[in-house]
Amino acid sequence: MTSASQAAATAEVTEIDAGARGPVSLLIASGLVWLVVSSALALLQLLQAHSPALLADCPIFTYGRTAAMKETAFLYGWAANAGFAVALWLLARLGGAPLRSTNWSTVGLLFWNFAVLAGIVGIAVGEGNSITFLQAPRAIQPLLLVAAAAIAAPAILAWIDRRQQATFAAQWYAVAALFLFPWLFSAAQMMLLWAPVRGVLQAVSAGWFVQGVWTLWLAPVALAAAYYLVPKITGRVLPAYDFAPYGFWTLIVIGGWTGGRHLIGGPVPAWIPSIAIVSATLLLFHYIIVALNLRGAFGVKSTALRFVAAGLLAYLVGGLVDAVFAFRGLAAITQFTWFTQAQLQLALYGAFSLTLFGAIYFLGTRIAGRAWPSSPLLRAHFAASVLGTVVLVAGLAVAGLTQGNALADASATFEQIAADTRVWLEVAAAGQALLLLGNIVFAYHFIRLALAAVTSPVAPDAVSFRRPPAMEASAS
Amino acid sequence: MRNGFLFFLGLFAALALSWAGIVLGSNAQLGQLAPLMDENEGKAFPERFPGLAAQGEKVYRDLGCATCHTQQVRRPGFGSDKERGWGDRQSVARDYIQQPVVHLGESRIGPDLANVGARKPAYDEADLYKLLYAGTDTMPSYRFLFQTRSTADRQPSDYALRLTGKLATPAGVEVVPTERARLLVAYLLSLHQSYEYPEARPIEPAKEGDK
Repeated sequence: MTSASQAAATAEVTEIDAGARGPVSLLIASGLVWLVVSSALALLQLLQAHSPALLADCPIFTYGRTAAMKETAFLYGWAANAGFAVALWLLARLGGAPLRSTNWSTVGLLFWNFAVLAGIVGIAVGEGNSITFLQAPRAIQPLLLVAAAAIAAPAILAWIDRRQQATFAAQWYAVAALFLFPWLFSAAQMMLLWAPVRGVLQAVSAGWFVQGVWTLWLAPVALAAAYYLVPKITGRVLPAYDFAPYGFWTLIVIGGWTGGRHLIGGPVPAWIPSIAIVSATLLLFHYIIVALNLRGAFGVKSTALRFVAAGLLAYLVGGLVDAVFAFRGLAAITQFTWFTQAQLQLALYGAFSLTLFGAIYFLGTRIAGRAWPSSPLLRAHFAASVLGTVVLVAGLAVAGLTQGNALADASATFEQIAADTRVWLEVAAAGQALLLLGNIVFAYHFIRLALAAVTSPVAPDAVSFRRPPAMEASAS
Repeated sequence: MRNGFLFFLGLFAALALSWAGIVLGSNAQLGQLAPLMDENEGKAFPERFPGLAAQGEKVYRDLGCATCHTQQVRRPGFGSDKERGWGDRQSVARDYIQQPVVHLGESRIGPDLANVGARKPAYDEADLYKLLYAGTDTMPSYRFLFQTRSTADRQPSDYALRLTGKLATPAGVEVVPTERARLLVAYLLSLHQSYEYPEARPIEPAKEGDK
């Protein structure tokens, strides 16, 4: 190894990465375990929807509990862990200083994952709440909140410690996600679990929370990763970057108002769905700015960026679909159907997970100090994830439209509806099986990377790193 | 964005604004809703759940019934809720004020349950037990809510299911609902939204020239 390449390698794998190694790799590892668990449960749920007799005699796998466990494993297991990991690493990198107090993160993530496990077991034995995104038993919810605060503490310190006053778009989104989640989460817990609000206000508050989880927590994490990776990997300044603050504030200010879309026609004040429809349309402004800023992601030969580009496409399509299908004429058909599941999966798997996969591929090399061991595994994961997402979302969407049209026709019985949607649920289950396969491949690949890093700390292939573009910590 | 303090303040204000608008706003509108006293009947509507039904709500919740069933009848113009016999009128906020936990639901893999206690023709307990025990092509059976036991050394139970055809039990064996099944069925049969509140008169789709 020449001294020049060594210099390049040490410049790329900085003490910043080394300092973040412990908590970030633990967060990713636990996230991947939950991802595999949740995709297996998701497959089971689709198979149960297809043939209700499956495992019906087993009380821990009633259809409702399977769905609740899947959701908890995905959201609090995978999405939260991976989101924390990426946000921590990004804020350390962009702040230009190593993370401080990483022990807080490590202890926090142990408690967090214990709470998630306890939550899933709680649902299985019948202590669940049957509230979307708050399925886990009431008793463990405060633990999640405290653990989240502990995990995020070093990231907030990294923001305070940042070397320069000016900040990047990636930082805004990451900080917003970490800062807003505890507020959102604690408010929802109070209103729905500890001092439940009265009557249908519960449904209104739940709608506000569910939308907030997406627009104020998960979407910002994914956008933070995208805003970091696109300029970093392409080596080019983001086009129309001056507009990025408007895109950011549009999402943060307006995103929280779009939660009532699913309450149309229901026993709530009519202005709640109306304001949600208007907000969903206004939010298109945000999507346009994101598209303008990040259009450089498409057509670049880079593994990480290919994932980000796929995620970005899902994000933009999802935003458009949300806005269009918020309108009453269409929403009256898709309400209460598989179509809403398709929208959710497009967001959670398509936009969020694909982007985070890209980020993990990028930061994995920096954290481990070496390249990912196998490019066939990498390609297999990419193919399975993208194809799986497309097939899953398409299957669910067609099933939903079929179901919605049939529900509107009073002469169609539920037996007929089930028969009509069955084939599309099979398609969706095939997509979900692909995703499960891809996720297992990814988890296995991550284990190999981690083992290689643990057994031989000096990277033999550090030469393969690119020299960091000069724009690191200088562009804005 | 150089000023960190202003940035955090902005984030917080944005979240607080949406919370205030949506949650406090609807609370201001609906928070004062009170049960309606009917002088003729001498009681107020909606009524509280009887004790068994209140416990049955917990069974409904922990089994995750709301994953496939809604409890809301939408206004005319939104689907075929009325034509399917799910309710004569749309659900209104007042229908729910006595329910500690509201299960409006988000998905209709199965029928709406807002008026399951007021169906025409009416369901009785035996119908619901049988449905839960046997399941259908579109609904799983919940056999773990029932106990199959021998009647050799005890009186046959009053609650024993009368099963016929493929499900029929051999002589000397009976299938009885467990406590949880009874609670769940009590809850389901207590679900009805039949009282006509002033704000709940059935809405007919607007026609040309109508006032």
